[in-house]
Amino acid sequence: MLDTAGPMIDSNDPAPVLSIGAVSKKFDSLTVLENCSLDVAEGEIVTLLGPSGCGKTTLLRCIAGFWDADSGGIRIDGRDMGAVPVNRRPVGVVFQSYALFPHMTVVQNVGYALRMLRMPRSAVAERVSTALETVSLTGLEDRYPSQLSGGQQQRVAIARVLVMEPRVLLLDEPFNALDAKLRGSMQVELRQLIKKLGLTSIFVTHDQEEALTMSDRIAVMRAGRIEQAAPPEEIFDRPATAYVADFIGMSNFFSGEAQAGAVLLPDGQSQSTELQGPVKVMIRPHNIRLVDAQDQDWRGTIAFHRPVGPLIEYHVDVAGDQIKVLSMRQQQSQIYADGACVGLQVIDPASCSIYPGAH
Amino acid sequence: MANVSVPAGGAGWGERLVDALLSGRGVWPAVPSIVVLMVMAVIPFAILLSLGFSDIEVARGAIISQTFSLTHLTTALTDPLYWITFQRSLNLALTTTFFCLVFGYPVAYLFLVGGRWTKRIILILTIAPLLTSGIVRTYAWLVILGGRGVVNSTLLSIDLIDQPLRIMNTHWAVLIGMVQIHLPVMILPLIAVMSRHDTRLVEAAENLGASQLATLRTIIFPLSVPGIGTGAALVFTLSYTTFVVPQLLGGGNYLNAATMVYEQVVFSLDWSKGSVSSLILMVTCLIVLVIIALITNRLTRWTRGRDA
Ligand SMILES: Nc1ncnc2c1ncn2[C@@H]1O[C@H](COP(=O)(O)OP(=O)(O)OP(=O)(O)O)[C@@H](O)[C@H]1O
Ligand SMILES: [Mg+2]
Repeated sequence: MLDTAGPMIDSNDPAPVLSIGAVSKKFDSLTVLENCSLDVAEGEIVTLLGPSGCGKTTLLRCIAGFWDADSGGIRIDGRDMGAVPVNRRPVGVVFQSYALFPHMTVVQNVGYALRMLRMPRSAVAERVSTALETVSLTGLEDRYPSQLSGGQQQRVAIARVLVMEPRVLLLDEPFNALDAKLRGSMQVELRQLIKKLGLTSIFVTHDQEEALTMSDRIAVMRAGRIEQAAPPEEIFDRPATAYVADFIGMSNFFSGEAQAGAVLLPDGQSQSTELQGPVKVMIRPHNIRLVDAQDQDWRGTIAFHRPVGPLIEYHVDVAGDQIKVLSMRQQQSQIYADGACVGLQVIDPASCSIYPGAH
Repeated sequence: MANVSVPAGGAGWGERLVDALLSGRGVWPAVPSIVVLMVMAVIPFAILLSLGFSDIEVARGAIISQTFSLTHLTTALTDPLYWITFQRSLNLALTTTFFCLVFGYPVAYLFLVGGRWTKRIILILTIAPLLTSGIVRTYAWLVILGGRGVVNSTLLSIDLIDQPLRIMNTHWAVLIGMVQIHLPVMILPLIAVMSRHDTRLVEAAENLGASQLATLRTIIFPLSVPGIGTGAALVFTLSYTTFVVPQLLGGGNYLNAATMVYEQVVFSLDWSKGSVSSLILMVTCLIVLVIIALITNRLTRWTRGRDA
C-alpha cells in the first residue's frame, strides 16, 4: 500500500489548527482506527469519506473527546488534548441526529453553551440572536425542537455550536435526516456559511457527491485507515490506491504487466510506470473514446447505453467484461446503438492510474 | 373471567363480532376488559356506595329496607378521628413518596450512566423483590427491626445503645417498610423514562461545556420529570391505600385510612361507615393524583409538540 496518510502541509504553511497524530483505537479485539494521521489547516474543511463502519464516527468522537484513543494524540493549536475533558475542548459537534434538547426552546438550545459559561443574560441574548440571524432562523425563537422541520433543526444544531466559537467544528453526516432536494441546497449553504465564518471543520459523510461539494480536502477512509487525503480533483484524477479509485467515481480496472518501466494499455498504447511485475490499470470512463471497429485490437459490442445529463454512458462488452465509457452527447452522429460493434481507444494514456496488483 | 359469549344461532353477528375483535376496529377490542371491569369493579363499588348513602335495616342477614341518607357522610366529616387518620395516611404516603424519590433517583441515574454490568445488577435488585409477596417482605422487616432484630443487636454489640430501641410498632417502622416495599415502583418508571432519551443529549451537553453536575441539572433531571410524575403517582396511590404494612409493622393499633376501613368492616361490621371511609379515601387519593398530574404537565410543556 502507498503511504499517503501523512500531512499534506508544506513547511512554510502556518501550523495546523487540528492535528491528528497516529490515532489508533480498538473495541475489544476489533481494530476500528489504525494509525490515522491528518492535519487540518486554519479555515479548511476536510471531509472524512468512506463506507459505513469504516470508523468515521469513531475518529470524530476521539477528536471531541467522547472516547479516548488507545494510542496517538489529538492536538488543537498545538495543545495536546489528551488530558482535556470533553467540556473543556474547543470543539463543537453537530450530531448526526442533531441531539437538540427537546425540553428547551430554540433560544434556550442556542444559548446553552453560553449559560454554561455563566455569561450575563444580556450578553447571551445578544449572541444568540446574532447566531440565529447567521443561520436565518429569526422568528422561530420560542419553538420547541419538535415544532421545527428537519432543515430548521439542523440549523439550530449549527447555531448552538457556533455561539461558543469553537476552534474546530465537527459535523457527523449532518444531512442524513434531510430529503434529497433540501440536502443539495443545504450543502452549498452550509459550506458558504462555514467559509464565511472561517471555521476549521471536519465533515463526515459516506456520500461522495456531498464530499465533492463540501470539501477543500477529502480524506478517504477504509477499514480504520486513511487511504488518501487530498483535494477533490486530485482524489478524482490521481487516486493514490485502487480502493480510492474504485470508491470515487466510475472506473474500469484491467490487469497488466509492467516491464522495463512501462505498461501496455488494452488498446496497444503504453504508459510509463515505476512499478514492476503484475499491476492493475485504472481508466476512467471519460478517458475512453469509441471509434469504428475496423483496424482496432480493442473492440466489443455495446451492451447498454443511457443518457446521463449531457453525457452518454455506454457499457461495452469486451470478451465478457463490461467496460464503462462516457462520451459527450453533442456529436449526434456518433451515438452507437445497443449491439453495435465498436472499437475503444484510450484518450490520454498519462491519465491512467497504475497500482501494484496480482493477476 | 367474563367471556364474551357468542350464541351459536346468530352466526351472522357472531362472526362479525369475532371478526371485529380480531381486526381491532373501533371500541370492540376493549369490550372484554370493559366487561371484566364492570363486573369486578364498577358494580361492587356501586353497591358499596349505595350502602354508604342509605340507612339500612337488616333482619336475619338480609336487607329489608334501604333509604337514602347523608348521615354517614356528615358524621364522618365531623368526626375528628377521621381527620386525624386521613391526615396521618396522607402524611405517611407523601413522606414515603418523597423518600422513594430521594433513594430511587440516584439508582436510576446510576443505571443511566453505568456500564452493562451495573445496569444488569440494578435491574435484578429492583425487580427481584417484586417476585416476592409484599406480605413476606413486610415480615422480613419484623426480623430486622424487632427488639432482638438485626439492627438492635448490632447497635447493642457495638455499645452504641444499652437498651434495645423500640422501632417496631412505631411510625418509623411503617415508614421504613413502606419506602423499601414501594421503591421499585419508583425506580422502574424513572429508568424507563430516563433511558428513552438519546444518550447523545448528554454528550451534546458535555460538548457545549456542561459539567457532569450541570448535565444532571439541565438535561437529565428535566427530561426525567414525566418519570418522576408516574413514579410519584404510583407510590403515592399504593402507600396511601396500603393495608398490609401498617397492619404488620405498626402493630395492631396503628390506624391509617385502609386499616380503619378494615376495622369498620371486619370488626365493627359497620358497612355504611366502611363505605363512606373508602369513598373519602378514593376521592382524596384522586385529588392528590390530579395535583401530581397538573404539576408534571406544567413542568413538561415541551412534550406537547406542534401546538404553538
Ligand atoms: N461502542 C462500540 N463498541 C464496539 N464497537 C463499536 C462501537 N462503536 C462502533 N463500533 C464499531 O466500530 C466500527 C466503526 O464504527 P463507526 O461508527 O466509526 O463507523 P462509521 O464510519 O461512522 O459508519 P457509518 O457511516 O455507518 O456511520 C464499526 O465496525 C462498529 O461496529
Ligand atoms: Mg457514523
